[in-house]
Amino acid sequence: MDWNVVSANFPLLMRGLGTSLQLAAVVIVLSFPIGCLIAIGRLSRRRWLSAVCAGFVHTLRSNPLVLILFWFYFSVPLIIGRSIDDGASVIVAFVVFFAAYFGEIVRAGVQSVGTRQVQAGLSSGLSYAQTMRYIVLPQAIRSMRPALTTQCIVVFQGTTVAYVIGYHELMHTTSMIAERTVRPVELYSFAAVAYFAVCYAGSLLSRHFEKQA
Amino acid sequence: MRYEFRWGMLLEQPYFTWIVDAIATTLHLALLSWILALAIGIAVGVMRNTPSRALRFAGALYVEIFRNVPLLLQLFLWLYVFPELLPKHWQLYWNRLDDAPYWTAVIGLSLFTAARIAEQIRSAILAIPPGQFKAALSTGLTPFQMYRYVIVPYAVRIIIPAITSEFLTIFKNTALALTIGVAEISSVARKIEAWSFKGIEAYTVASATYVCTTIAVIVLMGWVEKRAYIPGLIKREKSDA
Amino acid sequence: MTQPIVAIRNVCLDYGGFRALDGVSLDVNVGSRIVICGPSGSGKSTLLRCVNGLEPFQSGEVFVDGVGVRTCKDLPKLRLGVGMVFQHFELYPHLSVLDNVTLAPMKAKGLSRREAEEKARHYLDRVGILDQADKFPARLSGGQQQRAAIARALTLEPKVMMFDEPTSALDPEMIGEVLKVMRDLARDGMTMLVVTHEMGFAREVADEIVFMDKGRIVEHSGVSAFFAAPKTARAREFLDRILLKI
Repeated sequence: MDWNVVSANFPLLMRGLGTSLQLAAVVIVLSFPIGCLIAIGRLSRRRWLSAVCAGFVHTLRSNPLVLILFWFYFSVPLIIGRSIDDGASVIVAFVVFFAAYFGEIVRAGVQSVGTRQVQAGLSSGLSYAQTMRYIVLPQAIRSMRPALTTQCIVVFQGTTVAYVIGYHELMHTTSMIAERTVRPVELYSFAAVAYFAVCYAGSLLSRHFEKQA
Repeated sequence: MRYEFRWGMLLEQPYFTWIVDAIATTLHLALLSWILALAIGIAVGVMRNTPSRALRFAGALYVEIFRNVPLLLQLFLWLYVFPELLPKHWQLYWNRLDDAPYWTAVIGLSLFTAARIAEQIRSAILAIPPGQFKAALSTGLTPFQMYRYVIVPYAVRIIIPAITSEFLTIFKNTALALTIGVAEISSVARKIEAWSFKGIEAYTVASATYVCTTIAVIVLMGWVEKRAYIPGLIKREKSDA
Repeated sequence: MTQPIVAIRNVCLDYGGFRALDGVSLDVNVGSRIVICGPSGSGKSTLLRCVNGLEPFQSGEVFVDGVGVRTCKDLPKLRLGVGMVFQHFELYPHLSVLDNVTLAPMKAKGLSRREAEEKARHYLDRVGILDQADKFPARLSGGQQQRAAIARALTLEPKVMMFDEPTSALDPEMIGEVLKVMRDLARDGMTMLVVTHEMGFAREVADEIVFMDKGRIVEHSGVSAFFAAPKTARAREFLDRILLKI
């Protein structure tokens, strides 16, 4: 064992971790609102709208993230007629993919509030949108906090998948250094500790919310 | 967008053989890993509810470690790090193994998924009324018999939906085995795309494999759930009128 | 006589083969107090939900102040004129009592926070729980919660108040305080449409009784006539069962 290889490459590894966190943050910030829209669409009384949203969710949820990434990586340049940089296709693929998961969490949260609260809101003269905004969503978000936190950890772990197209997050950075230095044991162990630290902190937060609920 | 479709290509060689082999690999990799994950997951889940503090701690440690490290990295750890830690002659044996990546994937997938299943089992056991434990012990069953005949059969029924979704998760997660060189369907789709530049055809085959399997599993497990259903045991959620 | 504030005309409602309402017609005149009773599943609560457009129905029409519910383009505006009180209160658990009451006046009616709070305090005082205004609903007793829900509906100053079994989820010792609030409302001339099994309340406050069974209005008469001699056997049977239990 030679842990010097880790300290020698420490700044590079930290930059990789930063990129991973940043990617996860961007994906969460963009896919959560889209997930909310999808959830509202699925709960809509308009049959075609809820069918379209359900189809979107089921299709994405039954495919692996890697394959979705391949799809976008291949087809986005084809559709817009020019190549885009790897980072953009990673973000687009991840946002679309995780929006489906956030959508399901939000839908379950909204349904947990129950129809009687909706009726109470509507009968006091609030519009459907206002009932959602002021009565259903605030209650739903409270009950979804543990699931949302867990999903954020899943997104963070999912950023490792960007490795397959050479995006410079922690996984790819680690494997590059491991290949160059031929010290996989130390480097992958270090990466494992780094991922564990972030995810474990997240799971403690999720448990905290669960106790509050 | 200029793209010429050539769906017939999928039936040509060598692509057709690749695809068939890859679908088979994906299915038995998922199935084998899932069965192992169930066995380990049930054991760890039960451990987390035993009176022994050491067992509870070991179970919790297992779950936290395997849940909080990304699966992709776990596969790398099993492929690159684990053999290095083996005694020398085991290492030689491992390196001579023909399909080391496949077995690496089985280990990685099942240990990762077992942690998730253990959590489901644990909360299912917590959902069992405490009177059941007392009743089982008071009729003279040993603690092992209590779990074997009363608690686990009860818990399994509660978690059938969760076990189903874990199978679907492991099935999708087999795609990550492409990073360690297993020729499952996603990696073969990518290979076909690289050879022929017919990405849409290739990825459609892969997506169709996942979607069809998902639908088949949901239908099958719906049937199993109905068979295992005991009236009044688990409240079916009903929307209030 | 002026036009009725709520006119229900031959309303039919099917739930996938089950006929929940079967040609129901009823006029609610300004200032009148109608009690609807009947066995569970007879369609009483469903009828109330049809009046403010919560439950879409297949044929017939309900006019609220001359506006048809089925053709109404602006249901929120129509609902502002119809206060509703639910069996399980349905206060919003994430808002304080005061915020529960001011939400709709501010968001649906467009009042300023100051105006809304002023009105809210007035009505909270009227139902006797002004001192609970800043608490969360879960901290209140069932009777206080239902009074808060009544204040929430009153603050919109509706033309008619509907009560859907307002006391049937309450412990016996709390029923009285809610009925007292409703009695006071009736005395002040509020138009009321009340689904309840409280026959004492009906006898004292109502001027008309509607008896429903299997989605139809079986009997509709004045209070004294109804209690003296129900015309139908089904109403008599129902009345006997209710009164004997009390």
